[in-house]
Amino acid sequence: MIYCSADGSFIMTHPGLPESWGLAILALMLLTLVWAVRAPLAASGMGRPVLRLPLIGNRVWAAGPGIRLALKLVTVSLFLLVIAAGLFGTPIPERNLASVLTWNLWWSGLVFSIFFLGSAWCAVCPWDALAQWLVRRKIGGRAEPNNSLNLRVPRGLRGVWPAMGLLVGLTWLELGLGITLDPYATALLALLIVVLATASLAVFRRKAFCRYFCPVGRTVGAYSQLAAVELRPIDADLCARCETLDCHHGNAIVEPCPTGLVMGRLQQNTYCTSCGNCAQSCPHGNIAWRLRPPGIEAEQGARPQWDEAVFMLALLALTALHGLSMMPFWEDWMRDLARVIGDSGRLPWSFSLGLLACLAAVAGVYALMAAATRRLTPSRLPFKRYLATFAFAALPLAFAYHMAHNLNHLVRESAGVSRVVQNPLGTSALPFSMAEKQIRHMNMLTWQDTIFALQAGLLVLGFLVAVRIVRQRGAALLEAERAGQGWRLFPMLLFAAGMSGFNLWLLMQPMLMRL
Amino acid sequence: MKHLIFLWLLVLLPCQFAGAHHVLGRPTYSLNEDSNTPPSMQVETQIGAYFVSYMAFPAFPKPNEAGRVSVYATRLDDGTPFEGEITFSVRDDGWLDNWHPSRKEVLGVQRPNDNTHRQGFIFKEEGDYIITAEFEAGGEPYLIDFPLRIGEPLSVGPLGIAVGVIAAILIGVNLVQKKRLPRAEKRSGRAGA
Repeated sequence: MIYCSADGSFIMTHPGLPESWGLAILALMLLTLVWAVRAPLAASGMGRPVLRLPLIGNRVWAAGPGIRLALKLVTVSLFLLVIAAGLFGTPIPERNLASVLTWNLWWSGLVFSIFFLGSAWCAVCPWDALAQWLVRRKIGGRAEPNNSLNLRVPRGLRGVWPAMGLLVGLTWLELGLGITLDPYATALLALLIVVLATASLAVFRRKAFCRYFCPVGRTVGAYSQLAAVELRPIDADLCARCETLDCHHGNAIVEPCPTGLVMGRLQQNTYCTSCGNCAQSCPHGNIAWRLRPPGIEAEQGARPQWDEAVFMLALLALTALHGLSMMPFWEDWMRDLARVIGDSGRLPWSFSLGLLACLAAVAGVYALMAAATRRLTPSRLPFKRYLATFAFAALPLAFAYHMAHNLNHLVRESAGVSRVVQNPLGTSALPFSMAEKQIRHMNMLTWQDTIFALQAGLLVLGFLVAVRIVRQRGAALLEAERAGQGWRLFPMLLFAAGMSGFNLWLLMQPMLMRL
Repeated sequence: MKHLIFLWLLVLLPCQFAGAHHVLGRPTYSLNEDSNTPPSMQVETQIGAYFVSYMAFPAFPKPNEAGRVSVYATRLDDGTPFEGEITFSVRDDGWLDNWHPSRKEVLGVQRPNDNTHRQGFIFKEEGDYIITAEFEAGGEPYLIDFPLRIGEPLSVGPLGIAVGVIAAILIGVNLVQKKRLPRAEKRSGRAGA
C-alpha cells in the first residue's frame, strides 16, 4: 500500500489485519472476559507436565564447550562484520549488512527465538563472548578470576533498573533517532555495548552486565518466563541433598554460574543465560533442558519482584510504542506537538514526550486497575504487592504483540537479504528504486493470509495466557481471604482486555516499512 | 534564538544519524528512475514556522565533482514558500568540531528559483562536511545544518576510541590487581598464622 502523508510525500506501508479478523478476535476476547469474570477461581494451578529433551540437553549444552564455542565464533564473526560494514560500508541502510542483519533479522527475529529456545541467545551472545575473551583471556573453560577486580555491584544498581533505563534509551535511539536506518550509528552502538560489557566484566564479580545492565539480556530474561523450554534439575531431591553446589560455584574446569544461580532453588528463567555451565559442572549430570507449558512460570512459579514488575510494564508500553510510532499518523502527531512546544530538527523533545506519555499511560492505567482490584477484594495486603503480582499479566500481552508486530518486519522486509550478504558493505550499491521496493513488498516469505492468521493467533494466545495469569495469581492472593470469586478480578481482566484491544487496533492499521 | 537549538542538535549528535521513517531529519536516498543519473539524498525537517526539504545531488559526490544542494522551505501554517535569501556555508564535520567548530566558508547567497534555493559546490578534499542554510524570517534567524560526505573518508575514529578505552580498562585493572593480590596474600598469610 502507498500512503500519502500530510506533506504530500508517498510512503510505503504494510496492510493491517482485515476488519473481519479483528472482529473475530474481539468477539473471542469478549467471550473469554465474560467466562473469566463468571467462573470461580481455581486455587490450585495445573500440574507441571515436563518432558526431558535429551538431544538438546545432553549432547549440545552439557557435552562440553565445543559446540557453544563454535556458535560463539559464528556470532562474533557476524558481529565484527556488522561493525566493519557499519563503519566502512554504504550509508544506504537497505544495502548495508549492519542495518539489515541487526535490525531486520536479529532484532526482529530474536523475540521468536525466545519462545522456542528461551534465553539461548545469551549463551552465544557476541558482546559477552568478546568481553569474556578480552578480560579473562581464555577462549573456553575456567579462567583465572584475578583478571577482574571482582567488586560487588553497588546496591543501588542491583535489580533491573539499569537495564530498564538502557532499554528505554535503546528505544529512544531506535524509534526517536532512527538508528535502525543508519548503519554507521548501528556500528557505534555495537561498539559501545562491547565496551560496556568488557568494563563490567573487568570491574564487577561474575557477569554483572548480563545480570543487571544488558537491556537485551533482561528483555530476553523477562520474555523467557513464557518460553516453552527450561534448563532445570532432572531430580529435585538430588539437588536438595547436594552439598557442593557445583552449579553455583563451578569446578576446576567449568566456570561458575555467571549470574549466581543455584539450580536446586531455580524457579524462573529470568536470570538464566542458558550458558550450560551448570549442566557441565553438575557431578550427577542432573541438569537438562525440558519442555513445559509456556505460561506456567508467569502463572505460578515466578516470584513477584517490584523492579521486575516495572520492567514488564515498561516492556508492554515500549512494544505498544513500537507499533504506534510506525503508524502513518504518528509523524503528524509529532509535528503538531513540535509546533506547540517549539521543537525543531528531528523533534527529539516531541518524541521524548511521546515516549514518556506512553510509559506513563500504561503504568497509570495499570496502577488504577490494580487499585480497583484491591478495593474489590477484602484483602489487606499491601498495594505494592498487588502491583508486583499482577504485572506478570503484562508479559504475555507484550510478548504476543511484539511477535505479531515483528512478523511484519521479518516476513515482509527480509526478502532480498541474500544480496546484502553477497555485498555486505554495499560497495557501489544504489538505493532501492520504487520498483524494487514494490517487488520486495510483494515477494514476502509467506502468504499474506498466513501472516494474518499468525498475528491473530498470537494476540489471542497472549490474551488467554494473560487471563490465566490474572486468575491464577489472583486466586493465590485471594485464597487466604476466602474470597476467590472471579468478578473481584474484573479490573485487572479489563486491563488485559484493554491492552489486547489496543494492540489489536494497532495491528489493524497500515504499518510503515522499516527499510 | 530558539532555532539555534537545532544547530546544536545536529552538532552534538553525530551527523550521520538518520531518523527513522517517522522522524524528520532522516537522510533518505533515492533514484530517479526516469534518467540514468546517480542517486540523490533528501532530508526533511521542521524548524520554527517552516517545513524544510533539502536535497543533495549526487548523494555521494567525489572530490572535484560538481554537485548542488537545493532547499525548499514552506510555512507550516499555510504552505507559503519562503521567498527571501538563503546563505549557504560549509564547515568540517569531525569529532573535534563538535566542541571547537572549524572555520565556516560561505558557499553563496541564493534567491529562490521556482520556489527552490539552489547552491552549486565542488569540494577538492574527501571528508565529512556540514552544509548550513541560514535565513531570516519574522525577525528570527534560522540555521539549518545538513551532513554531506565527499568521497569515502575512513571511519577508524570510533574503532580506535573503542579499542583504546578497552585497552585502558584492561591495563588499569591489571595494574590494580598487581597491587591488590600481594596485599591480599599477605593478609591471608597473617590470618593463617
